[in-house]
Amino acid sequence: MAAAAAGSLRRAGWRLWRGRAGLRCQLYAPQQGFRASAALRRASEEQRKEPPSPSSQQQFDPQQADPRPEQEAWSPGPSYTGQDGQESQDYESEEQLQHRILTAALEFVPEHGWTAEAIAEGAKTLGLSAAAAGMFHSDGSELILHFVSQCNSKLSDLLEEEQKLVQLGEAEKKPTNQFLRDAVEARLRMVIPYIEKWPQAVSILLLPHNIPSSLNLLTSMIDDIWHYAGDQSTDFNWYTRRAVLTGIYNTTELVMMQDTSPDFEDTWRFLENRVADAMNMSSAAQQITNLTGLNQRR
Amino acid sequence: MAAAGALAPALRCSLGRHRALSRAAGRRGRWPFLAEGASLRPCSTRAALDGINKAVVDRIIRVDHAGEYGANRIYAGQMAVLGRSAAGPLIQQMWNQEKDHLRKFNELMIAYRVRPTVLLPFWNVAGFILGAGSSLLGKKGAMACTVAVEESISDHYNNQIRTLMEEDPEKYKELMQIIKQCRDDELEHHDIGLEHDAERAPAYSVLKTVIQLGCKAAIYLSERI
Repeated sequence: MAAAAAGSLRRAGWRLWRGRAGLRCQLYAPQQGFRASAALRRASEEQRKEPPSPSSQQQFDPQQADPRPEQEAWSPGPSYTGQDGQESQDYESEEQLQHRILTAALEFVPEHGWTAEAIAEGAKTLGLSAAAAGMFHSDGSELILHFVSQCNSKLSDLLEEEQKLVQLGEAEKKPTNQFLRDAVEARLRMVIPYIEKWPQAVSILLLPHNIPSSLNLLTSMIDDIWHYAGDQSTDFNWYTRRAVLTGIYNTTELVMMQDTSPDFEDTWRFLENRVADAMNMSSAAQQITNLTGLNQRR
Repeated sequence: MAAAGALAPALRCSLGRHRALSRAAGRRGRWPFLAEGASLRPCSTRAALDGINKAVVDRIIRVDHAGEYGANRIYAGQMAVLGRSAAGPLIQQMWNQEKDHLRKFNELMIAYRVRPTVLLPFWNVAGFILGAGSSLLGKKGAMACTVAVEESISDHYNNQIRTLMEEDPEKYKELMQIIKQCRDDELEHHDIGLEHDAERAPAYSVLKTVIQLGCKAAIYLSERI
């Protein structure tokens, strides 16, 4: 009896001690997400009928003088903040979990659109509760941003690969207009599987609370494309080129959403014409500055 | 500034060496720690960009690039007015060193994929007007402008070196070396300006204060936009 009481006192003491540290870490994890993921974890544990860390039952034994097991006893549940070095590799960070859910949700987008339903379905395929969708915004913003960010990374990797091939001499260096066309086409083709619901996505990305993130993603993608195209401008041209390419990309995206031709031929032709226009405009501008003496190349 | 004062005599001695170096072989002559065409090609940027504090380095390179660009334009303005006077060759030489700095920061900008400040066209015009305007007050006015600007810039470079030291002296070694080299050159110009009667320019203290305020504003803006 006394031993049990002592044990529970010790437990309470450790809980208080860990609780202070936990509170500090909780400041960094979004409150809502933390609670939701806690519920999620418990739900998933129920589903899998996993005994909640059986080893912790033994550590309540007051005879155990070793402080390490006491730490494990405190955190049988979610601690995505990874504050405890003793946590096993099974615990992933909350961000990684969210990524997994969103990636799984993408296959349900053609059916449900960019909505919480798609996220719920995705969570279910991972064996998690449909309540996981509560972790995210109800308008599907995170799903779209995740998708766009994924596409941009894929594009970056693709361009990096191409650049390696060129450096190794296994491929020809493309002229700028060809390079831009291919890069924009490659990036837009990633949207084709979701083209039915893409207009919805674009309109959600234009919501005021999404604009900073979506603008960020857009500008970094355009910057990537120009970087791999070999742009080395260090003057105002830097801005002009990116602005022009952003315009080309956005208008081509709009055309693609209304294109019904086989394999979007019309879109790629539109893209070709716009890129050609841009090239002509830049050479015309250069000619004018040369003629009027405004060109300061000394 | 006490440190800068202590540096000054040392710099005057090394002045001759620097001048000889800048006439020496090609653009890499003054930057011997950079191997020929080596670490600054775009293909290596992925490796170069890992593990550095991108936000801090971005700001530093952007504002330094803007500063050297502005300094170029200031000297261009001064040459436009005083090019054919006795001070011409002196100003031309200082201008050449600034051109060198600008080339250096262009390379850094490409290597670290930093965006240039959006105010470049504005600094283009403002720098030229400042250089030409101060030169209209005569050679002393031009020298006063040089002293004011170079003092601002050296302080600014020292701040940056301090920041990088606080971050991680090892990681940013190359960048710090370049900034130190530029700072030493700017201090040299500052001393040349003082040698050539900058302090006897009309309304020297007013001129200096106004120009330095302008420099502070330019630095603040170029770091952010």
